[in-house]
Amino acid sequence: MRLLALLWSLGPLLWQLHTSLLPPEALVGQGPAGAAAWTLANYRLVLAGDPPLWRSLLNSALVGGGTTALTLLLALPCAYALQRRRGPLAWGVGAALLAAALFPTVLLFLGLLELARTFHLGNNLAALCLPYTALALPLAILLLRAAIADLPPELEDAARLEGMGLGMRVRAVLLPLLAPALASTAILTFLFSWNEYPIALTWISRVDRLTLPTAMARLAGSSVFTVPYGAFAAATVLGSLPLLLLVLVAQRWIVRGLTQGAVKG
Amino acid sequence: MSGLSLEQVSRRSGDRVLLEGLDLAVAPGECLALLGPSGCGKTTTLRLVAGLDPCSSGRILLNGEDITHRPAGERQVAMVFQSYALFPHLDVGENLALGLRSRGVPRPERDRRIAAVLELLELTPLVRRRPAQLSGGQRQRVALARALLRQPRIVLLDEPMSNLDARLREDLRPELRRLLCGGEPPVLYVTHDQQEAMGMADRIAVLQAGRLEQVGGVRELYTDPRTRFVADFLGRPAINWLPAEGGRVLGVRPEHLRPQAEGGIAARPLRREWWGHQPLVWLETPHGTLRMLLPAGGELLDYLMVGWRAENELWFDADGRRIDGAGPWRQQGRARAV
Repeated sequence: MRLLALLWSLGPLLWQLHTSLLPPEALVGQGPAGAAAWTLANYRLVLAGDPPLWRSLLNSALVGGGTTALTLLLALPCAYALQRRRGPLAWGVGAALLAAALFPTVLLFLGLLELARTFHLGNNLAALCLPYTALALPLAILLLRAAIADLPPELEDAARLEGMGLGMRVRAVLLPLLAPALASTAILTFLFSWNEYPIALTWISRVDRLTLPTAMARLAGSSVFTVPYGAFAAATVLGSLPLLLLVLVAQRWIVRGLTQGAVKG
Repeated sequence: MSGLSLEQVSRRSGDRVLLEGLDLAVAPGECLALLGPSGCGKTTTLRLVAGLDPCSSGRILLNGEDITHRPAGERQVAMVFQSYALFPHLDVGENLALGLRSRGVPRPERDRRIAAVLELLELTPLVRRRPAQLSGGQRQRVALARALLRQPRIVLLDEPMSNLDARLREDLRPELRRLLCGGEPPVLYVTHDQQEAMGMADRIAVLQAGRLEQVGGVRELYTDPRTRFVADFLGRPAINWLPAEGGRVLGVRPEHLRPQAEGGIAARPLRREWWGHQPLVWLETPHGTLRMLLPAGGELLDYLMVGWRAENELWFDADGRRIDGAGPWRQQGRARAV
């Protein structure tokens, strides 16, 4: 059963990995596909391309990092205030956030494009973080709010009685206890930014500024006569590796800590 | 005036009144229990004294100094929370060190003080454990250690033992008293358990619905309750109530009821339960069911007359206020046979 689940989730990935290592001839059906020797030709191809794939990987990482940092920075205080200061205002903002999270983003493109044109935000990676953050914020706030709701307020009362100011309370109590929630929120935000396609497509036109999804689309559409399966697979593998790394790193935080045992048994 | 005093302290939240015009004074070293049902304002009082919530009106004085608007961190308050509120991500040693570190106590002194308090509470072997790895009693001791470390000017205890089992609670009471009471700081002890209040406190303040009902010594509250609520809330088994003319009510405690040869109320025993070594008998009478605590070894007939001494009567008016010299109680109309 477990094996089946493993196959189910790993199968496509492994197939992609296998494909990326095959020579182009083997992919279009000449010769037995299984028997062909593995080669790094596809990787050389995409990494040497114009622009090289590592360039868009870097761009995506920059945008992802910026978006994640900005989102957490804004979401944490907002979630904290919404959770701890109950009242009609907090309720209203919470409801508005939920509505925003459910709003179809497609309807925003024209507006966003107009904004980019008016404020000259096109082809600017830092500016691309702004709409990404705006779109990631509602979910991030909801996630962090739920995590803060699980923190007993007495912990902060105790910290206040110990003479700890807000800054110290945040550093010594709040952040360590929220680390798992922050880590998972960060991963989701980064993932969203990493995968985002339509906004990047409309905002970025210079090839050396392309993010990964748009660069890959360009790769696929670069020739009318051939479909570069191999190159495409290689790009996919390269695009997944940073995410894999990120999750492995964040896992430490997610598993560690936990508020279990803070209050009662 | 030394000690802690609250003057006309009120707390409102929105249009809800949590506490209304509370006047209280606690002498240095005195342990005052705040007793009442949940929602009566006792925890609110504690949070106001700690500075965790602001007073809506009134003043809080400590040794004559107005601390009403002083931030919680500067009041030198030691508080033990019902949930203990230990930091789950820190081990016992770090939990204790955090407060001292935030106050800038230098490392050597910090280590010395922590070692001393660990020793005192027999926590030394547990110093590297996280709260999740401790039993309820051990967590309570860590919370206590944290409170003691603070060299407090006020000690506040918010149901510090309600998460422990009854036996442990009883054993810990003298321990708590030894560690916390009798020193310089006044002690406020919140509980809803009258047994605990009587065991811990020098005096008890009974609160209900945000108002102070009565404050006094343990025996005084029991023998001389000023309101019907206090008479009803203190004492187990609970007091008996008998209606009288003019909306007044008479309270008679179960241990003051006794069988008698003639006069009194006709009664038929319904059932008995053992209350420690004494039987508690439930009696059916024309005036409702009464509870009578019999002396050990007392025997009952199937049908009897019960009465009480006039000096044991507690009279209250229709508003629940005590009236003195209203007795003795007379049976209204003709007693029906039961």
